[in-house]
Amino acid sequence: MTRRARALPLAIAAGAVLLPVLLPHPFVLTIATQAAIWALLAASWDLLSGYTGQISFGHAGFFALGAYAAAAATKHADVSPWLGLLVGATIAAVVGLLTGFPALRLRGHYLALVTLGLAEIIRLVAQNWMALTGGPFGIHDFRSFPGLPAAALAYRQAMYGVVVAIVAASIAVMYLLCERTDAGKAFRAIREDEVLAQTLGINTTRYKLLAFAVSSGFAGLAGGLYAYYVQLVSPSVASAATTSLVIGMAVFGGLGTLWGPVLGALLLYGLYEGLRFVGVVYNLVAVGLVIMVFVIYFPRGLAGIGRSA
Amino acid sequence: MLESLLEFLIQGVVLGGLYALFAVGLSLIFGVLDVINVAHGEFFAIGGYLAFAAVVLLHLPGAMGILGAAVGTFLLGLCVYPLLIAPLKRRLGGRPQGPLYLVLTLGLSTFLQSSLLAIAGGDYLRVPPQVSGILDLGVTAVSFQRLLVLGVAALLLTALFAFLRFHPEGLAVRAVSQNPDAAQAMGINLPRVFAFTLALGVALAGVGGALMAPLFNVYPAVGFPLTIKAFAITILGGMGNPAGALVASFVISIAESLSVMVIPSQWQNLIAFAVMIVMLLIRPRGLFGRAVSR
Repeated sequence: MTRRARALPLAIAAGAVLLPVLLPHPFVLTIATQAAIWALLAASWDLLSGYTGQISFGHAGFFALGAYAAAAATKHADVSPWLGLLVGATIAAVVGLLTGFPALRLRGHYLALVTLGLAEIIRLVAQNWMALTGGPFGIHDFRSFPGLPAAALAYRQAMYGVVVAIVAASIAVMYLLCERTDAGKAFRAIREDEVLAQTLGINTTRYKLLAFAVSSGFAGLAGGLYAYYVQLVSPSVASAATTSLVIGMAVFGGLGTLWGPVLGALLLYGLYEGLRFVGVVYNLVAVGLVIMVFVIYFPRGLAGIGRSA
Repeated sequence: MLESLLEFLIQGVVLGGLYALFAVGLSLIFGVLDVINVAHGEFFAIGGYLAFAAVVLLHLPGAMGILGAAVGTFLLGLCVYPLLIAPLKRRLGGRPQGPLYLVLTLGLSTFLQSSLLAIAGGDYLRVPPQVSGILDLGVTAVSFQRLLVLGVAALLLTALFAFLRFHPEGLAVRAVSQNPDAAQAMGINLPRVFAFTLALGVALAGVGGALMAPLFNVYPAVGFPLTIKAFAITILGGMGNPAGALVASFVISIAESLSVMVIPSQWQNLIAFAVMIVMLLIRPRGLFGRAVSR
């Protein structure tokens, strides 16, 4: 990494810490908090699809699992939201791991289609299992993190702090896993050439399953944060539009770098929300354009532009 | 019991016509270009909107709506290869990067769907049926509109398979599907075949959209669930095998219709995905797929 590339994550971190003090506005904080949740989801996608090369079209499903599990645990069993986050992440990780087993035999197109089908199944279950999920109306009226201040602005600031701290810690864990451990090397080896990786004695089965479990677990954690922040979970979070947005963010930022998708998520979500002022329908037009242009012309995303320029 | 079985069977066959129109094109595109077109359903939606524009806005007869949808989606489809697929292919060179095309067409899907939303709004638009009336079969009644879908599907797919079998251009498409390098060596213009096949495939979806518009209504996201279901169908039939997709369309549609007798109807959409996942686990190349995995 060049000095310039290293400076950018630091700038993001500094900006994230200073934001609630510099711009203490509920609207800004709301967008920033949600952008942070998206950043975690995009980073989790990148661990599996960017680093390990297993393209998932189902991250909306893992995200929704985490969100529903957390919301349902708090609403129906009065589980503390802190524990609820863990419940959501664990359930998503387990389902991700179970998805990993068939995925061992599939690659490329097929894996993407299976994960897309899985997300669609999750969406249909969410829509139809009225007793647990509230059907099309979703789950609402459940409590959020305890002990936060009641005043509107202070609540937003505190919520922002909680979400950003959890997101930053999660991204740091993923970064260490990918860049500082043998697992990270194995992920990249699997992406570049799976057969060669096997020949070199890498247990590709184990590392692929690890990537699936970790990636879907953090996607589920993002879902849990979303549930406690927005306090409404409806079937539309599992829709393909969510996956599309996440992939757009990762492609925009640059695959296989973790911080690229994080940056992509922050910028694209900002654009997405910003374009609401122009007209609520143009934001997804922009996401579609960004995906197409970056896949074709800037395969390494913003991270790659920074590196080669 | 027997009566309702027959009733659901008939409904299943009628639905199968639509699935076939949609999935055969998707499978053809995959077989020739090695690209899974995630945006296939958006061409279905565009077909519906073109039918709406022709019939409701311009007061043309229903047949013109279908024709307009076919021509419009065909022309739009012609642009996809040179503008999107070819540049990515050039950048990748010889490297096989299948999933990147998926991401690319996912972007196209999002772009088209939200463009439709921006242009036409999110309202459910009603399109009058091209034919009216109901055929009473005793055990069940089928509207002529549904029979029209089945009839047009049968006609177009027969024409398509005849074209692929006998026409020199169709033979070129099949040659490229089997071995692009050899086909090119024989003097076949690959980019032309790619662009043409893609246009042909999405035009079938466009016609489907125009025919289904009176039954489904038209809105920007109308096609996307169909795309996901068509993935399941093409996997069942063997990816890149249009004839397999045809058979699988009817297998899935009949299974869905009959399932209503056993499980609540809101779960019937799960069947296709369950079949897809089971199929991928036990026999990824599908019922009629090629032995070589790609």
